[in-house]
Amino acid sequence: MSQSKHAIKIWDVPVRLFHWTLLALFAFLFWSGKTGGNAMVWHMYAGYAVLALVIFRVLWGFAGSTHARFASFLAGPRRMFDFARALLSRSPAHSVGHNPLGGWMVVVLLGSLALQASTGLFANDDIATEGPLTALISKELSDRLTTIHRWNFDFLLICAGLHVLAVLFHVFVKKENLVAAMFTGVKKFDGEVVGSKGSAVRFANSWLALGLFVLALVAVYLIVKRPF
Amino acid sequence: MKKAAIAAIAALGLTVALDAAAQAKPEDLVKQRKAAFTLTAKYFGPIGAMVQGKAPYDAAIVTRNAGFLETLSKMPWDGFQASTADVKETRAKPEIYKEGDKFKASADKMQAEIVKLAAAAKSGDQNAVKAAFGAVGQSCKACHDAYRRD
Repeated sequence: MSQSKHAIKIWDVPVRLFHWTLLALFAFLFWSGKTGGNAMVWHMYAGYAVLALVIFRVLWGFAGSTHARFASFLAGPRRMFDFARALLSRSPAHSVGHNPLGGWMVVVLLGSLALQASTGLFANDDIATEGPLTALISKELSDRLTTIHRWNFDFLLICAGLHVLAVLFHVFVKKENLVAAMFTGVKKFDGEVVGSKGSAVRFANSWLALGLFVLALVAVYLIVKRPF
Repeated sequence: MKKAAIAAIAALGLTVALDAAAQAKPEDLVKQRKAAFTLTAKYFGPIGAMVQGKAPYDAAIVTRNAGFLETLSKMPWDGFQASTADVKETRAKPEIYKEGDKFKASADKMQAEIVKLAAAAKSGDQNAVKAAFGAVGQSCKACHDAYRRD
């Protein structure tokens, strides 16, 4: 624990690029999915990109920098409960990386995105668009997966909404500018810090991230094109 | 007298025939809609594959299919009658029979877009076909989103 103002670099470049690219793709997928027509071709490309990003982020959750790792931000139920209670009280408990609740939201969002992208691969819109793997399964199954694709999108929207509300809560109530931190990578603190590994933050090589992302892209290409 | 009798019998026969049409079984109306939509998908799909670059563009097939679609696009609608609201084998929402005007507007929109697609197909302008194809797809989707169950 430490006191007074200080700034710690927590988010590496790959995490930040991942986050904002994902947001842009999510917005585009939302729009194109609701628009339909000729936008569906690009909806599918953007979906492949999201799948590659999610695969990359899971790999980075094991091989990335300290605060990118699942092991660093997945808290047990007790820590989650304590954190939630502290949130409602006025005690300013800051987390360096993802806080105990936000960490699990990362997992929920990634899981839901993975479900969304993979059901999209098998979906059909009964008009002129079908996923690259739809031909492999029956129409009934494709219809069912398409329904999941639609419902899970609503779930994703709710989660994304909660995520934004939580960030706004931190910015305006807890006075922690998490948005700036996701741009600059540096989080500024004023007061007590919990779970600090300030000096122990280890940054992974961004070239490794690029390599893992290319690996994820190749995996998605193989799934979509099935050259074998 | 004989002529009048024949006319009366013919009129009776016509009335019976009209009644039969008006009281078509709900299950048959659903079948009619599905048949029309099945054929619509059959002739719409290949145009999609062509404008999306998945199949080589064949102007003759596009023109023929668009012509078929012009006729097909008129066929499903008189099958949407309130009597079909209780049929199980359909994904059509009952809202259709409460929002008749809105539903009809959606159906008219789809037919208008298909007329444009057919015109584009005749012009031979592939970009126009692609744009018209997209607009038809959006008109399909508008109705699916509003009036079709998951």
